[in-house]
Formats: sequence, C-alpha cells, structure tokens
Amino acid sequence: MSIFRLGEQRPPEPQRIDDGVVMRFEHVYEVDPDKMRTFPQQDMPAWDTRRIVDARWDHLDWMHDHFADAVLPAGLESETMMPEEMPSETPGREEER
Amino acid sequence: MDAYTGPNGDGQLQREFVERWRDNAYGCFSSGHKFCREVCPVMQVTRNENHTPTAFHANVVAMEKGLLDVADVADDYVHCTQCGACELRCPNTLFTGDFYRHRTRTVDVVKAMRALMVETGNERPGYKLWNERLAEAHSEPVLGDVVPSQDHVRDWADGLEIPVGGETILFVDCEAAFYRTSYTRAFAQLLQRAGVEFGLMREQWCCGGPAAEMGYMDLARRHAEHNVADWRAVGAKRIIAPDPHDYIAFTEDYPGYFGDDYEFEIALGVELLAELIEQGRIELTKPVERTVTYHDPCRLNKRKGVHKAPRDVLRAIPGLTFKDVDRVTQWSYCSGGGGGLPVEKPAITAEISRRRVERAAGLDVDTLVSACPWSERPLSEAGEAASIDVVDLFELVAESAGIDVGGARRGLVAEERR
Amino acid sequence: MSVAVKSAIDDGVIEELRAIIGDDDRVLPGISSRVNRTRVPAPFPVHRWAEYMPDVAVLPRTTEEVSEVVKLANRLRIPVVPRAGGTGLSDGAVPLRGGICVDVKLMNAIKEIDLVDRTVTVGPGINMLKLNEALRPHGVFYPDDPASYPCSLVGGRIGTGGWSLLGARFGHTRDLVISMQVVLPTGEVAQIGDGGGRKLRKSSTGLTLKQLFTGHQGTLGITTEATLELFPRPEVEFSAFFAFDEYTKAWRTTGALTRSGLATLAGVVLFDEWKLRYLRRDDEAYIPQPESVRAVIAVAMYGTRAEVEPASKRVLEIGRADGGKYLGDEISQGDWASRHDRYATPLHGRSLDGQAVPMSWHCEDAALNYSVLPQVREEWHAIVARYRERYGIFDDWGMFAYTNAAHKPWGDYLVEIDVGIWEQRLDDENWDAWVRCKREISEVSLKYGGSITACHGATRAGDAELVPTEMGSAWPVVLAIKRALDPNNVMNPGKQRLDEAYE
Repeated sequence: MSIFRLGEQRPPEPQRIDDGVVMRFEHVYEVDPDKMRTFPQQDMPAWDTRRIVDARWDHLDWMHDHFADAVLPAGLESETMMPEEMPSETPGREEER
Repeated sequence: MDAYTGPNGDGQLQREFVERWRDNAYGCFSSGHKFCREVCPVMQVTRNENHTPTAFHANVVAMEKGLLDVADVADDYVHCTQCGACELRCPNTLFTGDFYRHRTRTVDVVKAMRALMVETGNERPGYKLWNERLAEAHSEPVLGDVVPSQDHVRDWADGLEIPVGGETILFVDCEAAFYRTSYTRAFAQLLQRAGVEFGLMREQWCCGGPAAEMGYMDLARRHAEHNVADWRAVGAKRIIAPDPHDYIAFTEDYPGYFGDDYEFEIALGVELLAELIEQGRIELTKPVERTVTYHDPCRLNKRKGVHKAPRDVLRAIPGLTFKDVDRVTQWSYCSGGGGGLPVEKPAITAEISRRRVERAAGLDVDTLVSACPWSERPLSEAGEAASIDVVDLFELVAESAGIDVGGARRGLVAEERR
Repeated sequence: MSVAVKSAIDDGVIEELRAIIGDDDRVLPGISSRVNRTRVPAPFPVHRWAEYMPDVAVLPRTTEEVSEVVKLANRLRIPVVPRAGGTGLSDGAVPLRGGICVDVKLMNAIKEIDLVDRTVTVGPGINMLKLNEALRPHGVFYPDDPASYPCSLVGGRIGTGGWSLLGARFGHTRDLVISMQVVLPTGEVAQIGDGGGRKLRKSSTGLTLKQLFTGHQGTLGITTEATLELFPRPEVEFSAFFAFDEYTKAWRTTGALTRSGLATLAGVVLFDEWKLRYLRRDDEAYIPQPESVRAVIAVAMYGTRAEVEPASKRVLEIGRADGGKYLGDEISQGDWASRHDRYATPLHGRSLDGQAVPMSWHCEDAALNYSVLPQVREEWHAIVARYRERYGIFDDWGMFAYTNAAHKPWGDYLVEIDVGIWEQRLDDENWDAWVRCKREISEVSLKYGGSITACHGATRAGDAELVPTEMGSAWPVVLAIKRALDPNNVMNPGKQRLDEAYE
C-alpha cells in the first residue's frame, strides 16, 4: 500500500543524460528543464509520473493483444547496446497498485 | 479583441481565465487529434463534438480570438463526469506527459470553466441549487428532499461504538454516511476486525470535492478548511479515505489549498484493505457463491492508477467466480455518476450506466462489483433493469469475513427517520 | 459578437433543417457548434478561424435525413461539408465556404456481422478500434490501421481513401470496403460497389464505381453505410527493428525486405537520419542509443504461427545482412505497439533557440517509388531547413517511408516529412510562407514521378493548386465526372481545384 504524503511527492533532483535529457526517477527520462522556459512545465507530483509511466506500458501491452493473440519475440538481445547500458527490462515500470 | 462584458460586466474575468489556461488549451489545440473522443463516456452517448475534451480546450483558444464567450459554451461544459479518461489517453500525457512534465488536464480545464461560469452569472440551475443545499447542511443533498443533517451524520455507525477523534480518522463522505450505509458499515467493521484503531470526525462535513468539480471554489475551500481544522483539533495524523472521490480531494485539492502545511497521511481504503488481507489480519472464510465482474471506478483506475489492489481483494474471496475486464479497456467505461453530471443531465448518466451494465451482462455474471459508492447509485438502477446485482467490494469482503453488515443500500434508514 | 462570425444561413433554412431532422438537439446553429467543426489536426490558420466555420451543423441518424438535407442544399445552393472524425491530416472536412456541416458521428451502429460471407456492415460514424473490440469475440478483425486508428471514423477513411500501416498485407481502406450506400451530391441514394451485390468483391458489370467513391474527399457524396471485409484475427504478431549507421544501407535493406516474397509481411517503415535525431529528443527507445544509430527500419508481420515463425527468421537474416543491427525485443515490440496511435504530439517542437514549444504537425504524405527515396529526402530537408531559418516557426521532424501498395510490399512508398509549425505565431505572412513551403515539397514529388498525396487528400493550399498538374491528361475526365454528379457544386466546394469544372 502506498500512503500519500505530500512531502514525498516532490521529484528528486535531475541527473544529466545528454544535451536535452535528464533523469530524476530511475529509468524515466525527462526533458532538460532549461528547454521549458518558453512553455512552462507543470507541477507534477511523483504519483502522477508513476501513473503515466505505468499506464503507457499497460496501453502498449493492450495494443499488442488487440491485434493478435500472441507476440512472437525474436528472442535476441539488442545489438546496438551492451547489456549493462540497457535500461531495465521494462524501463520505469514499477509494481502496480 | 475584447467585447464581452456579460450581465455582470465581467470581461476581465474571462480574459484572466484565458490567460491562465491558454498553454493548456494550445497544448491540445495544436494537436487536435481527438484520441480522447472514443474513451469519453459522454461522447459515446451523445456523439456531439461540442462535448469533446478537444472542444473544451479549443473553446479557450476561441475565446482568446474573440469568437465566443463563456455564455455560449456554458451548457457544453456540463457534459463531463471528470473521469479522467481523456487526459490519460491523450498522447500528450500517455506518451510524453512524464517526459515534459506537461500533460493534458481536461478535468482542471472543465473545473476552471465551471468556476468562470459561476463568477460571471452563467451558473447552471441544478448545480446552483445543489451547492446552496450543500452550503446549508454541509453535506451533499443525497437524500432527495430530506436534509442530511449533522445531527445524523454518525447514525450509520449505530452499534459499532466507534470513538470520535484520535490519530487515525476514518473519513465518511455524504453518500456513505446517509445513502449507502451498508458500504460504510462494511468497511468500518472490516477495520475493526483487523484491529485497526480509528475514530470519526467531531463534525463531518463534505470533503468539498464535488463543489469544486461544479465550479464552486470558495465553497469547496471552506469545507476543506473546516475538515482540516477538525483533524488538527483531534490530533489526527492519518486519514483513511475509502471513497475514491475523497481520496482525490485529499491528495489533489487539499494540497492546493494548504501547501506545505498539509501534513496528513492519506490512506486509500481499498489499498489498506488489500494489505490487511495479505497480512492475514482479516480472514475470509465464508464462500461467496457469485459470478462477478469488476467495475474499475474512474477515480481509482484512470485518475490514480489504482487497479491491482481491488483485484487482489476480489481474488482473495473464496467461492467467487471472477470474470475480469482489463483496466485499459475500462478506460472507456464509467457509471456517469461523477462531476455533477447526474445533477444536470440525469438521462445521460442513466444511459452511461445502462451501457456499463449491459457490458457486464454480456459476460454472463450475476453481480457487478464496484469500489466507489457514487458509481453504485446509477449502476444499481441500471442493474435492476438487467437483473444484475450491483454491490460494493467492501460489502462482499465483509460478507466473506462473516460480518453481519447492517445498514442499507438506499438510505432506507434515513427515510424511516422522517 | 462580431459580424464576421454571423451565420450566412437564415432562420428560415434552420427551420427547414429542423423539420427534416425532427430533433432540435441535432440541428446546431450555435457558435460553439460551428467553432468546433472547423479545423482538423492539420496545421490551421488560427488567426483566420472564423473564415473556415460552417454556418450550421446537423447530426443525422439516417440516410433519409442526409438525403433530404442534401436536396435542400441543392435547392438553395448552400454548400454541404461532410465530417466524420475530423481527424484527417489535410483539409477535407474544413469548410471553405461555410454551409451545412453534415456530422455523421451518430451513425455509428454495427448493423450486421456476417461470419459466413465474411462481412460487417456499419454506419460511417464508427471508429475502427471500437469496431474491432466488438468483432474480437467472433475471431475476426477489420485491419484498417492508420496512425489515427483510435480516433478516425469509417466515413472519413472512405472519404480520404485512407492508408493502413498493415496495408502491404491486408490492403488499405479502398481494398477493405466492399460496398457502400452513398448520398450523391444531388441527394439521390446510390448503392456503390464492385457490381451489384452488397457483399461482392469483384465483378465486371456496368461501370465499376467503387474506386471513384473512395478518396473523393467528400466531393462526390456522403457515405451513409459501408459493408467491410472481415479477416481472421491473427494468431501472432512479429515486429523487428533494425539500426544502421548509414541511411543508404537502411534504404537497400528496405528494398531487400520488401522484395523478399514473404506473404505475411504487413508493413516496412524506413526512418531517416533526421527522424532519428528528432526521436532522440524525447523517445525513451532512442535516447540511449549510440551515435552509430542513424537510420532505422521497422518490420511487422501478422498471420498464423505456422507462417510467421519461419518468416520471422528470414526477416532477421535480411534485416542484418547489410550492416543492420537488431534493436532488441523490447524496443521492437514497444515501439511497434506505439505505431497504431502515432500522431505527433506538439511538444516535439523546438524553436530556433532550442526551446520546447507546442507545434502543430504537418504530415506530408507523398507517394513515391523506391528508386527516388534518397534523393527526395535530401531535397525535402533542404526546403524545410531554408524555411526554418528564414521564418523560425517551422521545425523538421524527420522522414518516414512506409510500404504503400496494397498487398504488394515491393510497391511504392508513402513518404512522409513531418514538419512542426508553431501555430501561436501564425499570421498572414507566416501562413503564406508555409503554403509556399508545402508547394515546394509537393513539386519535388511530381518532379520524381510521384503523387502529392498518398492518402490525406490534396484539399488544402499548397497541394490543391497542383492537382491539375498531377492529374495531367486525366484532369478533364475528373472535371466531367464532378460536373455530372454535382451540377450545383454543393458537395464540399472549393476542394482540390474541382471548381474548375464549373468555369
């Protein structure tokens, strides 16, 4: 169970990934806030980021299932990135509520 | 481009509104893809473009361009249950909302427009009356003509010997305190069975959420301030919110009112229950021989991403045959009971519920289980016509725990008191 | 309220419409009803919104209502603009001369599912995703799968002659619609198909009209019912993404894949270097990829396991034979799943100083042959770069090339350059610049023997003026047909230069 505490909703400080991308939550990319000076960002508490990321993965799973009974994997790893460079198996996806 | 003065000379208010919401509006308008339309429960019924989340945003841009004014669109904005399907499904949220920290916020836009309607003399008659009655009784008028009075706000708990006050407060909303008391008694007794210590408020006012949803911001805030003062007065640290509508008010609206001063922990009823069952503090020993399907309440599934805990609870009940429908498919489901829709457009609410129950009927079940008392009212009415029993999750769990719940599903107790 | 937004249709006409429709809630002369049936997702001259509004909207339920409305329009010479989803990427559903917007969304019933003769009959107001949800329990599906799959409606798909991501296997809208009921521009109702029977796929009786009535952009009538193809629901889906350090290698591999002869191949998509740079802005699949990933190919297959499993091995061979590197199962599956609702979102846009700003998405949709893809790519990017530098409100979002020919992966390509436009900064000067940019892009397509629109329709400035050029010697035939079917020019007038039929 997750108890809501306002103090815990503030997102962590960003770590730089590249020129335009930072990361606050593990495996969840975000835009460099400096690029959002003309069109400002919203106040987005941690629970909301979580909700969106989980919803996205559920939606993609749903789309697969909508079109076919099964997805056939190639069963091959990425050939462009080393295993240690890969984000986790389902980036950003946490245990759902 | 100016012009609108309105009956109260309020062009200024509309300009300020547009200024505040134009970024949100352009975020949608520049896109205008309408991925929201087919998941919107109102749109599924009316098929009228005026009621789309797209239109709700486009109107703000249209106001900016001097094409229309709040009076022209006031009726359109009634057509929304604030279920959150659109804003979640919108690719601006679903695919890039977390990346940019900028997502679609149709619920906020609709609330803000309704507030503008109130401020400019364009309020809806049904909303007006509803909130006048709320202002008087501090509970929503959930009993028709009978006033839900503070004198009777704890009557649902008769015989349960629940104290007042303490560190953990059980918040009991209007529908639960006066109408579907079986739901409330089930949950309270489950907590007692698990040995959870909790108390009630000294003065239980409405959370204020629905008032805010209908645009009555001052009224909403006053109720919030009262409730928080009550919590502080009894030294409360944690609030248990069984009703999803309250959970949203306490985790979204209240932080907005109180800022960093807001020190309370908010626990969602169904998640707490799931944990208590998992820890073995509640044993479910009595089989419940029903074939059920689960209705994901909008304010749990779409608005908060809560969909696993209720299913875990259902799967813990012995004897149950559970035919599930996944939570993504249920983004387009709704009871039609939220956002003030039943107050102004009861026929649309009834049709939305009829369709929801029809989907359940298609699964060959005898029971539709929900986890939100506000949804259960219109769903129950539709359920009667389809011979499907609509029950709350807590009621089912209590039955399986061998608890003799008491209370009533339709405020009969209150009616007897007339 | 200003004079500019006053309706050109008087109360007398409104009363007549109410008498036809019989329900005041479905005749909508109010300003919000007009404002919200104007634009579509394509970039829109927001500063001139009022000029593109209809005068009234009607929401019919039956073919008879549509027929009577169109007859009224002919009698009084009022334009009619059909609108289904209003999700098109060109201006087919945008009124150019006011008039009556016939909004068909209420006509969304599934009227019949025939599992024996394999058809489903629907109203034009139904969305394909919702249709397929209803078809699923029967083990069948309707594979019309554009990037607007969750929001576009069958009537609009027919009107635009839509393209499907899975078209190389299953065909596009034109191939998936068996027959339809159409209200003609003069109000008569006609059953249009391939021959006479509603469920017949191929015949040679009379003149075969079905092709003509798919892709007319609402200029030859309003579809009020359609009978559609039913396919068996696929057992498996296989998708694979390959990365290349050079565009040319990716282009050659695209050719190899599409010529492979694999029957379950549903679609191949080639992403160019600009597209990769754009994806690195905010797409979690591409942000962490090394610099050497400069071009990508996506391949998808659908069918029985017995066919797809061995075919998938061949795809993996071909995909990697010329320097291609497999991007892994997770990206291959996740990115493919996101392609069914891949309308570009506004914050992909970047201003000249690198700020994220909401831009409206222009999706170019030329059809071009394989041989010219690399050259067209260079010329198009050069055009957009010029306009971006000069005007600042445009942004190059890269290019895709998708298999375009129905059932023939080796055929032509839907070639897309995605251009972001900062609508909030639009004025007449910027808008005119945009139209010129769009025209230059289209002229390149014609130069290389292509078409200026594979599926969106040439219904807007920047495209429309080139329609006669592209049609060439066929143009007089087109005009003759338009004039014959729509003598009063009421059906979506002003689109595609068809006004020339009346000069």
